[in-house]
Amino acid sequence: MGLRTVKWIVGATALALVFGQVPAKAEFPEKPVEMTVLFGGTAQTIGQLLAELMSKNLANPVVPVARTGGGGSVGYNYVHGTDPDGYNIVWNSNSISTGYHGGKTDFDYTAFKPIAKISVEVPAFAVRADAGWETLQDMVDDIKSSDKKLKVGASGKGSFTHLTTMALLDKLGLSDKVIHVPYDQGKAPVELLAGRIDAALQWPGQFISHSEAGTINILCVTSKDRISALPDVQTCAEGGAGDLDITMWRGLAAPADTPDEVIVVLEEAAQKAATSDEFVEASKTVGFEPAFTGHAEFGDQIAADDKWIGELIKQLGLNN
Amino acid sequence: MDLLYSALTVALAPDAILAVAIGTFVGLVFGSIPGLTFTVALALVLPVTFSLEATPAIGLLLGTYIGGMTGGSVSAILLGIPGTPSSAATVIDGYQLTKRGKASLALGTAVIVSTFGGLFSLVVMIVSVDFVAKMALHFGPVEIFALVLFGLSTICGLSEKSLVRGLIAGVIGLMLMTIGLDDIDGVQRLTFGTITLQQGVNLLVAMIALFAVPHVIQAFTEYYRNDTQTVNATDVSVELPSFRVLKDNFWLMVRSAFIGTGIGAIPGTGGPIAAFIAYAQAKRSAKDGERFGKGALAGVVAPETANNAVTGGAMIPLLSLGIPGDPATALVLSGLLIHGLVPGPMLFIQHPGEIYAIYISIIVAYICVLAIQLLGIRFFVQILRVPAHLLAVAIVVMCGFGAYAVRNSAFDVYTMAILGLLAYGLMRARIPLTPVILGLVLGPTLEREFRTALILSEGNFATFFSSVTAVVFYVLAIGVIALHFFGQSREARAARNKTKQQQQEKAV
Repeated sequence: MGLRTVKWIVGATALALVFGQVPAKAEFPEKPVEMTVLFGGTAQTIGQLLAELMSKNLANPVVPVARTGGGGSVGYNYVHGTDPDGYNIVWNSNSISTGYHGGKTDFDYTAFKPIAKISVEVPAFAVRADAGWETLQDMVDDIKSSDKKLKVGASGKGSFTHLTTMALLDKLGLSDKVIHVPYDQGKAPVELLAGRIDAALQWPGQFISHSEAGTINILCVTSKDRISALPDVQTCAEGGAGDLDITMWRGLAAPADTPDEVIVVLEEAAQKAATSDEFVEASKTVGFEPAFTGHAEFGDQIAADDKWIGELIKQLGLNN
Repeated sequence: MDLLYSALTVALAPDAILAVAIGTFVGLVFGSIPGLTFTVALALVLPVTFSLEATPAIGLLLGTYIGGMTGGSVSAILLGIPGTPSSAATVIDGYQLTKRGKASLALGTAVIVSTFGGLFSLVVMIVSVDFVAKMALHFGPVEIFALVLFGLSTICGLSEKSLVRGLIAGVIGLMLMTIGLDDIDGVQRLTFGTITLQQGVNLLVAMIALFAVPHVIQAFTEYYRNDTQTVNATDVSVELPSFRVLKDNFWLMVRSAFIGTGIGAIPGTGGPIAAFIAYAQAKRSAKDGERFGKGALAGVVAPETANNAVTGGAMIPLLSLGIPGDPATALVLSGLLIHGLVPGPMLFIQHPGEIYAIYISIIVAYICVLAIQLLGIRFFVQILRVPAHLLAVAIVVMCGFGAYAVRNSAFDVYTMAILGLLAYGLMRARIPLTPVILGLVLGPTLEREFRTALILSEGNFATFFSSVTAVVFYVLAIGVIALHFFGQSREARAARNKTKQQQQEKAV
């Protein structure tokens, strides 16, 4: 076999490798889909799992890429600037509304087209067990009858947990007796345990182990219905906080002009992933509720949440 | 005993050991390449763990974490560029040792003391997890502020000749970290209305810029001036630390391991702070303190022991309180959660078997670190044979790549270039760069804890003196500064006497 023949064989094999991969009819996605993840922590955990599971149902993988910073605005800005062809999607959350109304981005939720809602996380409100507050009402009575202020730990000003805290305490009639203490994600429960703050509003996963150990009382969850991770914990509305119903959703979205046929493909893959046993199993320990809804319903929820978040931010004077 | 036995069978199963070994290797590679860190490595291996059993999955993550923490010292010592922020303090003396042809000695010492530090902290964790967790709870904003202030006082020891220049450098570092979105009030600072600047300066990117870019520029200027010194083959001989060296430094190792474990256990601090504080105490307590900065082996021993002791320390709040101390442990936490292990006080009651498996995996990881590194040293040091200007090209590529990989943002690559030029300017103005790093590392914590403390006290400054622990740290900080001035005036007097003597001799 001469050198010439070898060259021919190599060349032909290379050509076959290059063109052999392309199916007769090109089908979306023809290349990997990039999913921008805006935050670390739970957002990243769920996002990575979702991408992994979605990849099983698509011709090409979904690749999670972390673009953190600026309370999500950096990642939104990146995806906003990409071609609307479905190859760039964002692991979306209510931060699209907190970011816009807080003056961090100059585009709002309409810059993106919803694909599907994937999960919901419900904030929980907790106090130290030795404070002697068994119910929300105990706490309200105690604070109202004394002249001391309630120190509540949540994330920084204008963040989702901060806004939820303010909405809750407003409904309880305590909005002028509260000091908001901002903490990095994850640190509020420790500060609560150490007794430096009186209450904390964070994600249930951060409280459950301490609650089982008997050092922390979880007083309520902010959603309309009780959550599966904490079936015995009242909703805040049951505890006397009027009609409070706040949840944080996470879902997928693409730049506004992305064609509908592409959205549908991604939506279907997302549905399979979000309803799979693996995803449901992980939700219990990671601390979220799988809550798939299609793109139309998801769009309605984004718009509705944007309204109250905008109003609350204006009311608190945080729209800088 | 049954539990321990079953944990041993799970954690020492071939697949578990393999997972730890692979993790350690990946961590070492990422840690030792400047620009890539174990945080990136952890994010890459995390999806792989989803499909594994719990024990190998956690082993893979812990291996990556531990390997990465150790690997940072390789490029710190060989190239003078820290592979991770935690190894920034190792550069000071480690790189000087390389210049003196003792690279393999420094590398060997680093890996052995790292293993010591890591295992020491593991023992502390096993014996006293509850006690340490309670101690960590005691560290609120006031105490952490005081600790960080004490950390800043080590600028004195890192300023080389002039304290003023050291302070200038420290302030530059503090200022750089204020760019971006302020976490407490949600306000944008120095962003000029752009979204891109909201992400601020990333610590790792700044570190690459400060250490790597001036190094590269210098390599090229030397090349074009034709005054490169080629490294002789004899300079890269492999010499491992003797038992005596370790024995001489034993108490230093124990002290540094204590510092590392303690600081690691306090959420919101971490490896870089521990390494600098350990380095400073080693320098102060040494009889030949003036040798520090010129290639003292103890200057490698202290920070390397401490930064690996942080791994065990950081596991304490992670496992017992569910609080990740830094981005890297946050990724380990994700892995635990996916496999149904919810950290917190109940973890030790509900999953004692898995806890033992974690302990055993950590030990296996350190054995792997020791084996891979000690075997690898003879290959690592070969990099010194590469001419400096060629190596510089490779470093530029890796750093650009690494800066981008931190947050997948082109902005970080530009930041690296701009800060790098600034750093070269500072170097030419003989302003030391290490205090800049110290400012970068400590700045955000210092500010955050200061403001949180004031919010908690409703604006009352007396809160900063309300805790004994805090006051102790203030006193230590003042002590360090006082000792520095005392030492300086003594040196100045000695120098004056010397010149006087010489003049007298001349007169005679």
